[in-house]
Amino acid sequence: MNTVVITYLIYLLISVALTAWVGRTLYKNGALFLVDVFKGNKELAGAVNHLLVVGFYLINLGYVTLTLRISDAPETAQAAIESLSLKVGAVLIVLGILHLGNVFVFNRLRTRATEMRRPQRPPVAPSGQWIPGDAGSYSQAPMPPA
Amino acid sequence: MESLTVLYDSSCSLCQWATRWLDSRQQLVTMYFVPAGSAEAHMLFPNLDHTRTLEDITVVADDGSIYEGERAWVMCLWCLRGYRRLAERMATPALMPSVKRVVATVSRYRPHEDACMEDRCGI
Repeated sequence: MNTVVITYLIYLLISVALTAWVGRTLYKNGALFLVDVFKGNKELAGAVNHLLVVGFYLINLGYVTLTLRISDAPETAQAAIESLSLKVGAVLIVLGILHLGNVFVFNRLRTRATEMRRPQRPPVAPSGQWIPGDAGSYSQAPMPPA
Repeated sequence: MESLTVLYDSSCSLCQWATRWLDSRQQLVTMYFVPAGSAEAHMLFPNLDHTRTLEDITVVADDGSIYEGERAWVMCLWCLRGYRRLAERMATPALMPSVKRVVATVSRYRPHEDACMEDRCGI
């Protein structure tokens, strides 16, 4: 058990714990967004949430394991901590980007889904009214001078 | 509101471009584009003041409500998917005066060849 292996183990411990924590946050809070997007259909929302979170875990754990290897074996505790900080820092940033990306996607889904649900009245009052018919009633305020 | 008709100045290249652009977007309310003052416009809206529709862009909704000038522009945006929220924001008291100014300026300086020939453009 040399310093490298210990560093690797600490790295994995921290990274996996962080990934799990962020994943759970996403799962719990994303559920609320999705229930709204799918108009109260809790089963469908739960299914989509689960699928998205699985994707999240796959990408993140994949990144964590891919970047595990340290090229220069640290000889001292200080060097080990420095290597760790670089690796864990990179993992955190990737986690952050994916997490915010997910939140952005959830929000877009929800905005699109609820866009048409609000009562749809024209935002401006008409300038006049045209009434079809031979009477030809047509009232419109006179145009202001150009 | 299921549909509306946009009566635009067909001699104005800016209007033509704008109507082509509107037509190319995804619409929440079906938009029909008819040149103002044309035979088709007369047929669709008999008794409408067609001379007036030539002065500024006019939109007639399927419920008969007429929107002119900057209101017409707001309605055009309101019909497009993805632009409805923008249109609603533009219609607020905070933004509407600016919208009105921009539309009035564009309307005064837009290129409309025959209108100038017939001394209708008011410039």
